[in-house]
Amino acid sequence: MSYQLIKAGINLYAIFKNLEDLIALDEESRNLIKGKKISIQFLVKNGPKAWLQFENETCKVGQGIMHNPSVKLWFKSPEHLNKMFDGEANPIPLKGFTKLGFLQKEFVKITEKLEYYLKPEKLENPSKEYIEINTRFTLTVAAFALPEIVKYNREAKLSASHIPDGKIQLWVLPNDPAVFLTVKNGEISAQKGTTEKPDAIMEMKDYQTANNFLNGKSNPFLAIAIGDVIIRGQTNMLDSLSLILDKVQNYV
Amino acid sequence: MKTYTYKKSQELFKKAAEVIPCGIYGHFSPAPLIPVTDYPFYIDKAKGSRFWDVDGNEFIDYMCAYGPMVLGYNNPLIDAAAEEQRKKVNCGTAPARVMVDLAQEMVNTVDIADWAFFAKNGADMTTFSLMVARAHTGRNKIIRLKGGYHGTAPWMQSPDHHGITFNDNKDIVMGEWNNYEALEKYIHEHKGEVAGIISTPYHHPTFADNELPAKGYWKKVEALCKNEGVVLIIDAVRTGFRLDYGGSNEYFDFKPDLIAFCKAIANGYPISSLVGTNEMMNAASNVFHTGSYWYSAEPMAAALATIRELKRVNAVEKMFETGTKLGNGLIELAKDHGYNMKMSGHPAMPYFRITDDPSLMLHQKWCGECTKRGAYFTSHHNWFMSAAHTDEDIAETLKIADEGFKAIKE
Repeated sequence: MSYQLIKAGINLYAIFKNLEDLIALDEESRNLIKGKKISIQFLVKNGPKAWLQFENETCKVGQGIMHNPSVKLWFKSPEHLNKMFDGEANPIPLKGFTKLGFLQKEFVKITEKLEYYLKPEKLENPSKEYIEINTRFTLTVAAFALPEIVKYNREAKLSASHIPDGKIQLWVLPNDPAVFLTVKNGEISAQKGTTEKPDAIMEMKDYQTANNFLNGKSNPFLAIAIGDVIIRGQTNMLDSLSLILDKVQNYV
Repeated sequence: MKTYTYKKSQELFKKAAEVIPCGIYGHFSPAPLIPVTDYPFYIDKAKGSRFWDVDGNEFIDYMCAYGPMVLGYNNPLIDAAAEEQRKKVNCGTAPARVMVDLAQEMVNTVDIADWAFFAKNGADMTTFSLMVARAHTGRNKIIRLKGGYHGTAPWMQSPDHHGITFNDNKDIVMGEWNNYEALEKYIHEHKGEVAGIISTPYHHPTFADNELPAKGYWKKVEALCKNEGVVLIIDAVRTGFRLDYGGSNEYFDFKPDLIAFCKAIANGYPISSLVGTNEMMNAASNVFHTGSYWYSAEPMAAALATIRELKRVNAVEKMFETGTKLGNGLIELAKDHGYNMKMSGHPAMPYFRITDDPSLMLHQKWCGECTKRGAYFTSHHNWFMSAAHTDEDIAETLKIADEGFKAIKE
């Protein structure tokens, strides 16, 4: 049960979070929402709740309940939601039947593009631009998956309890893309961007290095030892964090 | 002042990473050396208080192999004793005579010791100490303290670590350093269940200031253990023979039932020891615990010579003195540069931290700048003094530290 719950949280809060950058960076996706103003609420029984808002050629993704969304999609369980993400189930629409056309056409194309950028293994020779977007998305997924794993995975909860309160900055040099994690009393929250005074920093020297590191294609010890990945500050925070990060691949 | 580069170290590490998990694993891993580019990875040779890396850079060593070096690298007297034994026999089909001599020396030297048992690493002995405590009491639970390090056996690690399960920690209970009340409460609430308490004599975690015992803490713990039939185990793997010849517990004026030694016991030769009181001897005899090389005679001869030499040269007093000189010098220098340097722990194993930046980034930068100028400082771990460190070493170190402070201002 916790597996499905964690996966559902990651799908809604971490995978979907990338829609914001997808719309900003990918012209084709942006064109699909041109002139459209639509918001979608995802409701999972005994599971996560999130909303998407497409407006003015931008996308915003939020956690929780949105006031008066255009569309409400209901899922009878976290497993139901996860099956939808795997293309094996459909949501139950509760509101916004007139917008179903958007969900079946444009939204499907947008999520297919998202999947394309998240799965580099399908490409033989990914371009530099592709690697940059994939790296950005992978970093976001990793960061936003952490709180979900910590909530419901016993070992991860223990690891998080060992992290002193503070802020951890992860970024690809020269400081973009960047995410930071706030740890308080064993709970982790993730945000995109930079924080002013991080207690620990993990910086990856360039996109390719970050891509290899985040996708498990490089030896992390070698990457740190040769200076491709630089860690600084209260690196004991990163020790425990890495134990949780290692679990992300079990859910995505 | 010239700064070092580490081309050969880096090249060797890349080769190592292809054939050795992590390249360099465990406590020698480069990961906590920050910035990693300021540190050498591979050592070529060592003598006295110094070592030379594979790039030919020379360092005054304040980690002392993370503790084992206590009388200077390649100490001729210790090496001669080891060599003499090796020529006779090292690994044989029966124990060598030197084992009995060493056990007698341990018993004569360590105040609480009525017997001594030998192995290779600290963790062999901390694990054995738990087995002895359980055999002696017929109980299961062991209390260890948060932030305390006793090795890497599954019981010593957190169950969230790779390869460890919650079952591995089933009977391990976490206490807190200097929190006598919590210990007492737990033991009273679990009467007849706690076999032992294992702790270092003072708190020397990584990434944090080290803490000495609060006034009366150990006396109260000792009395609690006696009253409740709990075995008190001291992990003196780091502190042993650096604080007091009679056991680092003597420095803090209390008597445990068992003490685990390693590191400084043989100046780098591989041997560890558990000593205990007469009351524990029967249990220690009943527990089956052994290893292929635990009877190696060469390290035993080295240990015998080391313990005698430590006493002869007043090593404990010397390390206290040089550690204090180094600490005072660094604190003063830091002040001159507008920083606040804090020294904690014992002068023979000082932990330093520039307190102006709680994230440690400034301190890490300074340690790195000093290291690449020839004073090997780590930022996450207590340092180790040795009897081989001289006043000249300290003076040279302070010059390097001064340059380090200038560098972090730039």
